[in-house]
Amino acid sequence: MTSMFKAELLKLRRRRVAVAVAISALAFATIASTAVLLSASSESGEPGAQRGATLASLGQAGGATEAFSIGVSFTGILVLVLFVANVAGEFTQGTFRTLLMRQPRRAGLLAGKMTALLAFVAVVLLLAEILTVAASTAIAPSQKVSTAAWFGADGLGAAAGDYVTALLGLCAWASLGMALAIFVRSIPVALGIGIVWSGPFEHLLQDGWTAAGQWFPGLLLEALAAGGTADVSLTRALALIALYVTIAAGLAAFVFARRDMTA
Amino acid sequence: MTRATAAIGDPMTAAADPSRPSAVCLRGLTKRYGDRIAVDNLTIDVPTGVVAGFVGPNGAGKTTTMAMLLGLVTPNEGSGTVLGEPLAAPQSYLGRVGALIEGPAFYPGLSGARNLAVLATVAGHDPAQIPGLLQLVGLTARGDDRLRSYSFGMKQRLGIAAALLGDPKLLILDEPINGLDPAGVHEMRGLIGRLSAADRTVLVSSHVLAELEQVSDWLIVIDGGRLVFQGPAGELPDHSGASIVVAPEQPDDLDRLRGLLAAAGHDSQTAGERLRIAVGGADPRDLAAALNRAAGSGGIVLAELHLTRTSLEDRYLTMTIGGDR
Repeated sequence: MTSMFKAELLKLRRRRVAVAVAISALAFATIASTAVLLSASSESGEPGAQRGATLASLGQAGGATEAFSIGVSFTGILVLVLFVANVAGEFTQGTFRTLLMRQPRRAGLLAGKMTALLAFVAVVLLLAEILTVAASTAIAPSQKVSTAAWFGADGLGAAAGDYVTALLGLCAWASLGMALAIFVRSIPVALGIGIVWSGPFEHLLQDGWTAAGQWFPGLLLEALAAGGTADVSLTRALALIALYVTIAAGLAAFVFARRDMTA
Repeated sequence: MTRATAAIGDPMTAAADPSRPSAVCLRGLTKRYGDRIAVDNLTIDVPTGVVAGFVGPNGAGKTTTMAMLLGLVTPNEGSGTVLGEPLAAPQSYLGRVGALIEGPAFYPGLSGARNLAVLATVAGHDPAQIPGLLQLVGLTARGDDRLRSYSFGMKQRLGIAAALLGDPKLLILDEPINGLDPAGVHEMRGLIGRLSAADRTVLVSSHVLAELEQVSDWLIVIDGGRLVFQGPAGELPDHSGASIVVAPEQPDDLDRLRGLLAAAGHDSQTAGERLRIAVGGADPRDLAAALNRAAGSGGIVLAELHLTRTSLEDRYLTMTIGGDR
């Protein structure tokens, strides 16, 4: 596991990747901060009813990372796509075969790869949060949003909480993407299933069955990103997502370890 | 084309030299995919230190066999050892095995050197050997270029370099010559020859025996997943032997020439507008003179009279497709 972790980091530790990450994080921070602060309403809405910020909520301790939290809630599918492409790409390129000829402990190899990729996600997410706070701080005066409460102990605590919530959500999206890729070994098929299921399919089901939001992974991940909703508490969302991720990751590891590597 | 492997006889007639330990020893290995049997009760021995050519037509089961040696595919039946370790525990021997199977597979966005560094890290090998390996395969100047700019031949050579990471005792190369241009084939043959060493065994597959004829000192021939022959390359059964080919100046004289030769005690086989006479145990020079005299006695002028020797390829084709070319 450790050797694969190091090898995966070796693939990521490149100037090209660093530049792409920096540009993406900067773009995310700029867009999220601008969109959230400029569209912030002066009226307070029903808590958890929608993913919008108000001028009042932005002025509170968690206001510094509100744009980050809202922005990250839209990146789950992107992470799913990236993990499907990365893992299924190892099959289609034949590189899993090349790796397994050198490291036959398959579960360890998969765990090392996933750990490295999730560590990478954690670093990128941290960078995105820092840049979003910086961008929000720069824009806030123009919207007459006070930043006085942002950098106290409560503000930092809220920022840490938002970071952990966002990271857990993205780890779940990543794990589901990895599992899909392991099961079908094809980028387009895995992407098709993942996007259709967690996007329109679950929302269509929710239209016909309102309790769907309490059970389906895509909707639960939306609830997690929102910090809980009126229908689904944060605790329930976290617990069920953890269960789904555990099952998906366990099945994926089992399948990866047992199936012939003919690709 | 009809297969004629049944006519080969006992495939174990040229058994491995018992004085040499086997680098690869497989017993009754079988792999099925549904109803299709890819490898059928395969029993082979590859002595240590040889360059073993693993030959068979496309779909014969070569790649599946190699994949089982590398722990990529699990056999349904059978057992074996690789470098003295059980086939069922690939983690016990893969650190001493280098392989290139089903073509070179690398990360296209990384450089050749970075690809090797990734593989060295996964296997726990020292990355300091990478420059030397790039030099060995002639890629020093292109080592820092991204892989997607490499030609197929360069990727194949990088695949060989990857297989050599960790100085393996067993090298498994699956069709390394496939897809290369003539210069690349020549270069790869030379490289394979250089890779053999007293304590290193090279198992290299091809569906064209001629590609391996010059570098192999041990041959394993399989067809339809079954063993057809294994043993020293020189012991590959010679079913057709050397022969003399004659052709009359006038094609219409072919039947009359065959009669004259038969009358002189020489059986012949028609091959287009020529006749082929097996040399057998005769002196080829004396036989050629006798054939010429027999033709001349009937007033037939020979336009062709030459000796042909069967190559390993001819013998291989005889075994796998019954010589029907």
